Amino acid sequence: MPGRGTVARMSGVFDRRNLMSLALPMATLAVLLLAAKPTVALESTATTSPRVTATLISDAAQVTPGQTFRVGLRQKLALHWHTYWKNSGDAGAPPEIRLSLPDGASAGEIVWPGPDRIPAGPVMNYGYENEIVFPISVTVPRDAQPGQSFAVRAEAEWLVCERECIPEKGSFTLDIPIGDAAVAAASDIQAAFATADTRKPLSSPWTTRLAPEGDALALTVEGADLTRTAVKGAYFYPATWGVVDHAAPQQLSLSDGVLTLALAKGQTFNPEAKADGLLAVTDGGGVTRWFEINPSISTAPGSANPAPSVIETLPLWQTALFAFLGGLILNLMPCVFPVLAIKATAIAKLSGGALREVRLAGAYYTLGVLVAFAALAGTLLAVRAGGTAVGWGFQFQSPLFVAGMSWLLLAIGLNLSGVFEVGLGVGGTGQQLAQKSGHAGSFFTGLLAVVVATPCTAPFMGAAIGAALTAPVYICLLIFLAMGLGLAAPYALLGIFPGLARALPRPGAWMVRLRQAMAFPMYASAAWLVWVLSQQIGDFGVLIALSGALLVALAAWMYGIAQHGTGRGLVSRGLATAAIAGTLGLLVQLNGATPGAAARSETAAGANYEPFSNARLEALRREGKPVFVNMTAAWCITCLVNERTTLSTDAVQQAFRDRGIVYLKGDWTNRDPEIGAYLRSFNRDGLPFYAFYPAGGRDPVVLPPVLTEAMVVGELERASKSASIAPPSNR
Amino acid sequence: MTDIRSKAKLADLPFDRRTLMLGTTAGLTAVAAGGLTALAPSSASAAPQINKPAPDFTAVDSNGKTQSLADLRGKVVALEWTNHDCPYVRKHYNTGNMQALQRQAADAGIVWLSVISSPPGEQGNVTPEKANELTQTRKAAPTAVLLDPKGQMGRAYDARTTPHMFLINAEGTLVYMGGIDSIPSTRADDLEKATPYFRDAMAAVAKGEPVKNAVTRPYGCSVKYTTS
Repeated sequence: MPGRGTVARMSGVFDRRNLMSLALPMATLAVLLLAAKPTVALESTATTSPRVTATLISDAAQVTPGQTFRVGLRQKLALHWHTYWKNSGDAGAPPEIRLSLPDGASAGEIVWPGPDRIPAGPVMNYGYENEIVFPISVTVPRDAQPGQSFAVRAEAEWLVCERECIPEKGSFTLDIPIGDAAVAAASDIQAAFATADTRKPLSSPWTTRLAPEGDALALTVEGADLTRTAVKGAYFYPATWGVVDHAAPQQLSLSDGVLTLALAKGQTFNPEAKADGLLAVTDGGGVTRWFEINPSISTAPGSANPAPSVIETLPLWQTALFAFLGGLILNLMPCVFPVLAIKATAIAKLSGGALREVRLAGAYYTLGVLVAFAALAGTLLAVRAGGTAVGWGFQFQSPLFVAGMSWLLLAIGLNLSGVFEVGLGVGGTGQQLAQKSGHAGSFFTGLLAVVVATPCTAPFMGAAIGAALTAPVYICLLIFLAMGLGLAAPYALLGIFPGLARALPRPGAWMVRLRQAMAFPMYASAAWLVWVLSQQIGDFGVLIALSGALLVALAAWMYGIAQHGTGRGLVSRGLATAAIAGTLGLLVQLNGATPGAAARSETAAGANYEPFSNARLEALRREGKPVFVNMTAAWCITCLVNERTTLSTDAVQQAFRDRGIVYLKGDWTNRDPEIGAYLRSFNRDGLPFYAFYPAGGRDPVVLPPVLTEAMVVGELERASKSASIAPPSNR
Repeated sequence: MTDIRSKAKLADLPFDRRTLMLGTTAGLTAVAAGGLTALAPSSASAAPQINKPAPDFTAVDSNGKTQSLADLRGKVVALEWTNHDCPYVRKHYNTGNMQALQRQAADAGIVWLSVISSPPGEQGNVTPEKANELTQTRKAAPTAVLLDPKGQMGRAYDARTTPHMFLINAEGTLVYMGGIDSIPSTRADDLEKATPYFRDAMAAVAKGEPVKNAVTRPYGCSVKYTTS
């Protein structure tokens, strides 16, 4: 039990501290010696069971009239048995202590020491193990007579539980001499109080607020000293039942100066009522302190920013700038490549065009990108307002979308290969309309760029997007639009600086070659999407996707014949239309397919990982085992690259084995609310996501989205080391 | 979208644009549809909620009979999580409080199911014979005692304590969940002082009135769920 070792360690510390606290009573030592009264241990006779040895103790061996001192119910608990905090959690009950004091004396309330979490399966309790003191302040009346004794009687009842629960009670009496000078109790009693005092709730120096978001609650704590280095763990203990679901994990996120805990709403959460409690904060040295907090509750969702993180600490223009840079980098991402192909051909086309045309094309392309980003932001915001956490790239979780995308990419590929032409037809046309067509083309190229690029945005923008989505709507839109501008920037620049366009090579045969070459990334993307579909809905999905692809190819070919033929090609056109209709019919078939029925190819016996589940993660953490969590999806190329080049290599797998790390892998290829919620708890909305939970139940370290072998092994080393130096004091 | 040649012809433009728009709108619609389907099933696996359909259950009772919520449609159903050795449960049985509630339920035509989610080896786990013996010796009057050693029904209802009470109306809607009364103690003399939440809930349902305190704090020992 980590808890036991900790308490032993703490009492060692406080023996020393106790010596210091004795310095003050040293002044009264002379009095003591004169009175020839040794310091006596003021502890009542014990009530003993196999589970608890309980006594009443006093921190004063002699009291003076008017003095305020402390008595306490002291419980020494057998291994694994526990008693409870004032909010006992899901089960159990706090101890009750009734004091009887001489006339004129007064007593305060129990000063409840900060508790620990004591989980029992799906039930979470709050309480104490090993040894605890429940202190109460007592004031001696001013007219008390020195020479007499001050009698403190206590009737106490408590419930003590391991797996089973036993109610116990005891009566205790202390007769404390009244004298002219105060005398502190002996050091072992002081030490018992001191141990409880390490858990004494401190007043919080921070501003706190609690914001309801659907079924969740975000507890935000702000203070300059809340940094990643200073805070290694945090947990909110609500003072009353019903505010927070005690058993739900509380996910911590930290940016310097802001601490956020993602909580699950309790059954009787009431935004009108108080939600006070204790915030337990574990520092880098593994020492936990408890702070009294009474968070203000923001009732109007959207009026307050529930998860400020980066957004609040950065000026708006900087946030926008980072989003813009993120968008710019998107141009270089692997899954934007098919779009780059489109852009390259478009630029090649422009090199022969007029200046004004180049400018307009750039503007339309930018507009297309922005509209697509706005649409995505709007959809995400709408869905989020509905209370469901969806992830960035989530559209790839829909088999319908994946199949449709693969056919669209195939069609584009066939077009690039020259099977059919877009916008080449019979009859004459005015330059005016041709231009319009070009602009519509630019606009839709922009739209397409965004739709295809989304799964690649997560690696660079994951955290920012997560933050943006929890930010007020206008900031969210601003970030999305800035990202869109970034993505469109290289192309738009051509419009703004036409000199660049003039520097582009002259049109020629190379354009045809380039165009034909660019068909292959399209085919590759289409093939990849078919594979994604096979992961989502198994071989049935592949059948549908390939049949659809066949029909798309047929339609393209027919349409091409109509274009090249001399007549109006009605038959060919009719057949092409029929083939497209057939393809759409296939799409309906997909609708009925059940996601999750996929034949998972990798979960074979030789698999080096376990499937992720919150329950499994919690269980492993309770056992104190180190855990590495990898969230992945078939449609997340960066995830797959990371797995191939880093996580599946011998070096990393060996490091996992050497350290006894359990490797949990979550597959988000299909929608999974559990994984969605897990990511949200880290303020993330996209993949890849990697977290390492060091041994001993310590808080997780989130790894960057792009991994290298050296980085992963180094991170495991670092986190494990700091864990072994500082065992957790709070389980 | 990708037309290299800028000499596009009029007749084709509609089709050209239609294809483009079809593709792109299909893409964007799929985005929206993905979002919407994401919304729908999210509440399925969550904890039970008041005024929502109660989670279905199927469990074998101490007489070997299978009981399921679906079969009980049309009847009001009371669920009582129990563990006969838990001091909180003993308070209510030793004082006759639980038996009185069970009789009150029987008189009102309410089906009362006592549920035991303790696995073998844990406190409260009983054989069917022992369950019947307990009913007899304690003069208890449940309609049936359900044995849920794997904790499936307990987890479906998110039952956390013994006792933990649930009330389901004739339409299968959960109308009460929480404590048996308002004072979380093992002291018998607190019974009189406590607000009898569950008794009030049964009375309200019998009269066809809404339950006033529909969610209260359950108190007691933790349910001894199997950890395997």
